[in-house]
Amino acid sequence: MARRYDSRTTIFSPEGRLYQVEYAMEAISHAGTALGILASDGIVIAAEKKVTSKLLEQTTTSEKIYLLNDNVICGVAGITADANYLINYSRQIAQNYLYTYGEDIPVEQLVQRLCDLKQGYTQYGGLRPFGVSFIYAGHDSHYGFQLYHSDPSGNYGGWKATCIGANNASAQSLLKQDYKDEITLKEARELAAKVLSKTMDSTTLSSEKLEFATLSLNDEGKVSYHLYKPDEIDALLKDFDLGGAQDTPTTS
Amino acid sequence: MEFLIGITGKDFVLTASDTSAARSITVMKSNEDKSCDLNKHNIMLYAGEAGDTVNFAEYIQRNVRLYGIRNGIELTPKAAATFTRKELATSLRSRHPYQVFLLIAGYDITTSSPHLYWIDYLGSSAEVPFAAHGYGAYYCLSILDRYHHPNLTLDEAKGLIKKCIDELNNRFIVNLSDFKIKVTDQDGIREITI
Amino acid sequence: MDAFVNRFKGSSTFLADEISMLDGFGSYDAVKEFSQPVFEIPAVQNANCTDEKSDSECRIKIEHGTTTLAFKFQGGIIVAVDSRASAGNYIASQTVKKVIEINPYLLGTMAGGAADCQFWQRELGRHCRLYELRNKERISVAAASKLLANMVYPYKRMGISMGTMVTGWDKTGPNLFYVDSDGSRYKNDVFSVGSGATFAYGVLDSGLDYELSTNDAIELGRRSIYQATYRDAASGGSVRIYHVEKEGWKFIGLYDVGKLHWEYCGL
Repeated sequence: MARRYDSRTTIFSPEGRLYQVEYAMEAISHAGTALGILASDGIVIAAEKKVTSKLLEQTTTSEKIYLLNDNVICGVAGITADANYLINYSRQIAQNYLYTYGEDIPVEQLVQRLCDLKQGYTQYGGLRPFGVSFIYAGHDSHYGFQLYHSDPSGNYGGWKATCIGANNASAQSLLKQDYKDEITLKEARELAAKVLSKTMDSTTLSSEKLEFATLSLNDEGKVSYHLYKPDEIDALLKDFDLGGAQDTPTTS
Repeated sequence: MEFLIGITGKDFVLTASDTSAARSITVMKSNEDKSCDLNKHNIMLYAGEAGDTVNFAEYIQRNVRLYGIRNGIELTPKAAATFTRKELATSLRSRHPYQVFLLIAGYDITTSSPHLYWIDYLGSSAEVPFAAHGYGAYYCLSILDRYHHPNLTLDEAKGLIKKCIDELNNRFIVNLSDFKIKVTDQDGIREITI
Repeated sequence: MDAFVNRFKGSSTFLADEISMLDGFGSYDAVKEFSQPVFEIPAVQNANCTDEKSDSECRIKIEHGTTTLAFKFQGGIIVAVDSRASAGNYIASQTVKKVIEINPYLLGTMAGGAADCQFWQRELGRHCRLYELRNKERISVAAASKLLANMVYPYKRMGISMGTMVTGWDKTGPNLFYVDSDGSRYKNDVFSVGSGATFAYGVLDSGLDYELSTNDAIELGRRSIYQATYRDAASGGSVRIYHVEKEGWKFIGLYDVGKLHWEYCGL
């Protein structure tokens, strides 16, 4: 039935649905989880790397968490190729804003501009929507720390804590349970690790499967981005008793 | 023969502009307001080539307002000045460059601080504690150099502007009879008399 | 796909040149952003053939000598103009109509290039009529004068010569604006434009009083133009007077300055 409404350009089905967009969202719910938690003194973003093969060379840089601008980072879930395009686009937007106004782009504007592009791909002919969701963590002088989420339809919203990718529903409910207002960045880090440890398939967490980043203000009041190195992640996980040891290949 | 001046104080910017609109040797109008409100906390004073001034000022004003409507937040003085400078710099390399001199004064509500930008038609922009455009600058800058300090109160700033205007009336050959004086602070922009 | 992305980028960006910042420099034309000329701007490469300022030997010497004035008073607005057309040293006509009746409620005066003034004010008349048809009400004088200023501004520095006063009566009452080919536009209570303007201002400013009766105001306008024609060689012919009232403008009369001269002498 749906075939008639999703094989060409994105058009409404008789029930008023956009199948292409829904399929794009479906694609994301199979991707590695990424979550963000807004704390009073910063934001944490954590993401699950899906290790597809032992033979695959680990990337030295992050593949789930990216710096978009000095004041904004994002976590990604979905098709990496699509994400790369959008990340490049948003970096250009941010730099252009800096060029025009001499200031870092306000977080919501960057999110909005990216969503404008995403929306375009749900409407114009001959195109498929982007198969990525983002979690954005940013800071600006207007509204301080902010956490946003955007999906392939071009919808976006601000959150205190949210999650995208595989098992996002259960992660979301865990976050809802344990999130409290006035949470500190330190507590948020622990919560992020805890939630991921429960929602991820693997039994033990380690730096091989996790990416971790925080955004906070340094002593000068400037935004500082900290992408955790593998050993930092392992140390963190050990602190929280969530594993952290390198996944030692077990021989049967 | 036009004159613009701006002085930043502790928590405000005081600006003044002459009010005469002249064509060749004739004063066509003596109560022209040579400033426009870019948004609630930013004001732009303009002087220069007839026609260009108002057209450019309105162009900037409309774009700054549009930004406010689109984004729900207003441009800060720095952002407004950077944007304006860029427009002028782009225009400079076009067929008809805008020949305008500007002062952008504003109160940054995100940092609670006053700012003043001096901009010329070549696209130079500088943030300064005080500034002036026109022949009047030759008389007034030294006065401001001598008496200005960062913690200026509004009354002190008014006194400074008065000193400058008095000096112009004394020494400057052209009679700039009247000035429009405005304060920009936490509460927005308002006109005052001295 | 590229076509789409480009189209989309264009539509979603704040300013046209924001994305490709280096593309715009050659072709950027700021005036196109807001004002809309009624037809394509012709490319004018060389010094203009009508610009006497830059080249005194220019090919075409347009009518420049003029005295026009207009002022507000309690009874509305008086518009008075002379009627001489000069081209260099030559008096081309003594019976020019320098008041242009844009519509029954709007007047424009003419100083500078006669053709420029006539053309642009006729164009203004067209726009004002269209405005009326579209909005079911008359255009305000402020809006009409702004239209004129916006229409000529893109042609700045291309040789248009126009110094005009736009007057009329709208919802806000009597209104008087000065618009010229530099793109200037001012609102005021008194204006005089043209080579004889300084002479007219002298008489006008000293005799002006808002409470003047209509007859006295008409006389002040006539006398001011007469005095200007007396001193300014490029002004002369007859004084043409209009009175702008609530019901629209009214033509008052045409007075030969030669006859006025003897009248004023005989006093």
